[in-house]
Amino acid sequence: MTMLRESQIMKIHYITGIAALLVVAVHIMMRLIMPYSMSLGYENVIANYHNIPYVVLLESILVLIAIHGFNGLRIILLELRQSKAWEDGVTILTIAAMMGVIAYGTRTIIVANGLGFE
Amino acid sequence: MEIDRNNREGLKGWLNPGRYGWERVSYWLQRLTGVGLLAYFVGHIYETSSLTQGPDAWAAMLELTQTPMGHLILILVIGMSTYHSVNGIRLIFTHGGKGLGKPGRPDYPYDAVSLNYRQKSGIWIALILAAAAMLYGASVLFGGE
Repeated sequence: MTMLRESQIMKIHYITGIAALLVVAVHIMMRLIMPYSMSLGYENVIANYHNIPYVVLLESILVLIAIHGFNGLRIILLELRQSKAWEDGVTILTIAAMMGVIAYGTRTIIVANGLGFE
Repeated sequence: MEIDRNNREGLKGWLNPGRYGWERVSYWLQRLTGVGLLAYFVGHIYETSSLTQGPDAWAAMLELTQTPMGHLILILVIGMSTYHSVNGIRLIFTHGGKGLGKPGRPDYPYDAVSLNYRQKSGIWIALILAAAAMLYGASVLFGGE
């Protein structure tokens, strides 16, 4: 049950991995441009969510790592056992989990973007 | 007639570190760090969602995560992500046929040309960079700033 060939899925896996590396590096640098404990202050974090380029970066981290991570999990589970039912089940479950995590993370980004400073 | 595609060794075959030396250890670490990072990623999304419940919920979450144990977990995550990234780049090159060496006649003791010093040094570089990143992470997290 695959719409894509495994070779195409591996290309997506590698591209999302390299792209995630770049965006996560920027995300970590944003925590290090000021003292680490200060960067985690509520006002500072909410200010990050009001910065549209940073919001785009967070959403791209969310999508890239969810695709890469859950596809990696799918690969591991397919290496452990092979049968039609197992492969279809693993593919459906990992895609569902990936979509769930993306939806939940996107909800946080949208809600935090709408929050004001208290 | 349906072909039986069941992997008879299952988890035991996956975890066997003795069969291919360092390459097997690298294979194993790549998967363990991947699963660990996925678990951290899901936890981090949950942790960050406390922002939406206001400053008190965020402060309560920080009290839970910004502890010596939380910092140790974060240092482990730094090491896992560095190893996974560097070894992953090595694997991308390897899957593209780079660094595998030229195929040769299989003479005794049948050492695979593909498992050469380039591959082994790639694994060592990943391990050394992971250790260096963990030390830097520890200096930031426990450095008092």
